[in-house]
Amino acid sequence: MNLTLNINGTVHSVYCAEGDLLLDVLRRLGFTSVREGCGVGACGSCTVLVDGHSVSSCLTLASRCSGTEIRTSEGLGKDNPVVRAFVDEGALQCGYCIPGFVMMATELLSENPHPNEKEIADHLEGNICRCGTYREIVKAVLLASSSASN
Amino acid sequence: MNPRILRPESLADACALLSQDEDALVYGGGTALQILRKQGILSASSFVDISGIPGLNNLHHTGNELLVGPMVSIRRMETDPVVRESVPIASAAYAKVANPRVRNTATVGGNIAHGDYRLDPPVALLVLGATIKATSTAGTRAIPIDKFFIDFQLTALNRGEIVTSIEIPISNDVVASTFVKFSSLSANDWPSASAAAAIVARDGEAQILRLALGALAPTPVMTAVDITGMREAQATEAAVESAMLIMDPLPDVRGGVEYKRNLGRIAVENAVRNLWRDRQSV
Ligand SMILES: Cc1cc2nc3c(=O)[nH]c(=O)nc-3n(C[C@H](O)[C@H](O)[C@H](O)COP(=O)(O)OP(=O)(O)OC[C@H]3O[C@@H](n4cnc5c(N)ncnc54)[C@H](O)[C@@H]3O)c2cc1C
Ligand code: FES
Ligand code: FES
Repeated sequence: MNLTLNINGTVHSVYCAEGDLLLDVLRRLGFTSVREGCGVGACGSCTVLVDGHSVSSCLTLASRCSGTEIRTSEGLGKDNPVVRAFVDEGALQCGYCIPGFVMMATELLSENPHPNEKEIADHLEGNICRCGTYREIVKAVLLASSSASN
Repeated sequence: MNPRILRPESLADACALLSQDEDALVYGGGTALQILRKQGILSASSFVDISGIPGLNNLHHTGNELLVGPMVSIRRMETDPVVRESVPIASAAYAKVANPRVRNTATVGGNIAHGDYRLDPPVALLVLGATIKATSTAGTRAIPIDKFFIDFQLTALNRGEIVTSIEIPISNDVVASTFVKFSSLSANDWPSASAAAAIVARDGEAQILRLALGALAPTPVMTAVDITGMREAQATEAAVESAMLIMDPLPDVRGGVEYKRNLGRIAVENAVRNLWRDRQSV
């Protein structure tokens, strides 16, 4: 089937099977910030936003996303306050998990612009960083929330 | 072979598709179905995706009931002020499912139909006395939640039936309510033990403690204890005694039988403590 997807504001037309997962379709289109970790919704490395809501693209039918706005971390750009904060806090080691954390943080800050540490931990608790960068990630979200209000 | 994906635009069409093919499955959020498909343990011919049917994601407060459409997301049950205000333990239990991403995608209908004995929301729905409405080509029937979970991974839903609504009573008789969950692997994992409890006033002075347990038997289970005139210690003892009788935990990676019974007992003790605290602050 032919599928039309709006990804980071650009419309892409892509041929895929009706049961294809959003994760696989995005990677085929070159959005390689979207990564498979667990494949079962438990690690968050495949996180994207669909109409502003975080989803695990490893469990999401691509065909259900036509007519929605999909955002990946490629669409944020390096001047985005969340991306900048992760860089400034050195919140990454290997970086595999980081796009997922950045998208979760983007969702959190849009719902709650000034979260405290507990609210940050609650929102990010379903994301796993094998390198254990959690401390710096929480600091980066706090920094992003203060820099966005300046 | 991968299941075909069918997208009916009306409930009648969805029911017809399900009645024509006994290997077709309803597709809600897909968070459970996709995992089962990846594990290779699903033999569905097609998924009947009900997301395009108008009205199934409505949430309606009638005054004495909350009517929840099957496609309402679990995250909405967690965050919607109407749900939080009118049925706080239901909202608290939905808030404990998995992580925010899964809650954004998973649906109220798919959650209950999944039928797992460890699910968090059914424990709260049992205490509140919810009713499940199920529709098929044969019509619509109402299933009281205490008749819904029949056995391990087995619900009262017949093949071809679609959960079309969950009706949660809103009662002024609920004096206090609480939900407690313990996980042994990670904070947002499935529970090793969970308990929902409420104190319900009956005929003036009488008070009933309604108590439901999750992950502690092959299905979610429920009991009720008359705690009229009891102090906290007596009520705790009565609740624990009644709870121990309905516990029948399955040993697994999240703990053995004795471990889970012990966690279950602590969950009940904590639940009664929370109820007493809330009741006092009324
Ligand atoms: C990482 C992870 C962690 C989890 N942790 C928890 C947890 O801690 N606590 C907890 O309670 N749950 C947990 N879950 C399970 C989660 O609650 C379920 O996956 C989810 O609720 C299923 O909803 P869904 O809409 O995605 O269902 P689907 O995957 O779409 O469907 C599930 C089942 O219900 C059927 N179905 C779907 N909708 C309907 C309907 N309207 N009528 C009839 N049948 C229907 C399907 O045919 C299928 O059999 C976890 C899941 C994941 C992925
Ligand atoms: S790969 Fe999707 S959540 Fe882990
Ligand atoms: S930085 Fe390596 S997994 Fe998170």
